[in-house]
Amino acid sequence: MVDLFRDTYRYRELIWALALKELKIRYKRSFLGFLWALLNPLLQMIVLAMVFSTIMRIPIPHYAVFLISVLLPWTFFSQSLSYAADSIVGNADLIKKVRVPKVVFPVAALTSNMINFLLSMISLVFIVLVLRHPFYVTWLYLPVPLLALTMITLGATFFFAALNVYFRDVSHILQIVLQIWFYITPIIYPIEMFGKYRWLFKLNPLIFALNGFRMGVYAGKLPTPQSILMSFVCGLIALIVGYSIFRRNQDQFVYYV
Amino acid sequence: MAPNNATVINVENVTQRFRVFQERPDSIRALFAKFFRHEILVHDFDAVKNVSFHVGQGEMVGVVGRNGSGKSTLLKMVAGVYRPSEGRVTVNGTIAPMIELGAGFHSELTGRENVLMNGLLLGYSKREMKAREQSIIEFAEIGDFIDAPVKQYSSGMYMRLAFAVAIEVDPDILLVDEILSVGDMGFQEKCFDRLRRFREAKKTILFVTHSLKDILDYCDRALLIDEGHLMLDGKPQEVTEMYKAIIDAHEQHHEVLEPAAR
Repeated sequence: MVDLFRDTYRYRELIWALALKELKIRYKRSFLGFLWALLNPLLQMIVLAMVFSTIMRIPIPHYAVFLISVLLPWTFFSQSLSYAADSIVGNADLIKKVRVPKVVFPVAALTSNMINFLLSMISLVFIVLVLRHPFYVTWLYLPVPLLALTMITLGATFFFAALNVYFRDVSHILQIVLQIWFYITPIIYPIEMFGKYRWLFKLNPLIFALNGFRMGVYAGKLPTPQSILMSFVCGLIALIVGYSIFRRNQDQFVYYV
Repeated sequence: MAPNNATVINVENVTQRFRVFQERPDSIRALFAKFFRHEILVHDFDAVKNVSFHVGQGEMVGVVGRNGSGKSTLLKMVAGVYRPSEGRVTVNGTIAPMIELGAGFHSELTGRENVLMNGLLLGYSKREMKAREQSIIEFAEIGDFIDAPVKQYSSGMYMRLAFAVAIEVDPDILLVDEILSVGDMGFQEKCFDRLRRFREAKKTILFVTHSLKDILDYCDRALLIDEGHLMLDGKPQEVTEMYKAIIDAHEQHHEVLEPAAR
């Protein structure tokens, strides 16, 4: 684990350059460029909020804020995974020719999605303002669930990036898994909807970190200490498991990409 | 050969083994299908077999051998891309591989961005690369194109820029893989001239090539690799002669074995 931080620190400039490269390529030749990082979630949010608050008629006040406060961190998680799963295979050219710690590639994929996420939070501010939802002090707490979520995401990222080297099916399977995961996570609905079966949802490692976002932005409260603790327990387990699998296999990647 | 110089590359009893799948299952379906039909045929293939040699500081050592003899694999082991299956490779000093020039280039990024990216990949800092940027641009003779995406470059410009990055980062050791055979004569001469100055600064070059003339003209020493074995480590003259002999022997061998194929 120590070498993860050491390599990340030593190669921070490379990671940053790779992350910017990815963003640059993602938005290349589009007229609005980086603005899409802002506009995309905004438009997506408007569509979803319309569907659920006017057509499906979910009886939740300020449903858009309720939804988007969790949808954005979820998008950060799922996009990071999609990008990172291909990060080793996609950089085969580099891995085969230059000696470079392999961790830089998944970490860079996560970094570029983090930048995207932070930009998209600006559009959340915008929506909160437009809907006249109160701005709670608990916004200041958001870095805490973000840290826990980043740990979980990074762990998952390492796992899928390594697995995808051996089996290219992984990046396809991942899309299905993410879709199912989206629906079994209380994102578009409140967890309270499920009464006595609520405990089932707590098997989902993402729920504690995501809950922190909803509490902070929508409810204006802090999560319970147990919930905060659990978010970091999940983060730590994901990171340790994901990274040790990645680390054990990283010297083999060059022969399979 | 260079008894007084410090050893900068030390290769000891190195073997590089590749696992060759007859037909590599690259999807889970294929893996299962073949697993149950007992069709996964795997065999180990040693691309480099028990090779040992040293390179002293300031030497320029050529590596020759037929296609598929293991030269590039050897170079990649020295570069640290492959970890040897057996034996040990130790390298003292910074190393810049010129293995397929411009491997790290991304076609959508500008020349300037690619120079930075390439340097970062080699382990240099942004500040170090900024300091060298001007001399890289000058050496590559690339002018205003430096701020255009490299996909707009001619292949010559692309190559010149890649060569310039590798040499101007001023590593202690340069690994060169058959790259000087491309490019026009003027630039080739400039490259060799630059390599000469590089050597005058007591720097080391390991140089894979098919050009026996380059070996004779520039190298202090040469290694002959055949079928993964180090056949000879000696003076350029001896090595090139033995290399020619191997090629001749092989051609005759083929004529005897496959008369119909010819």
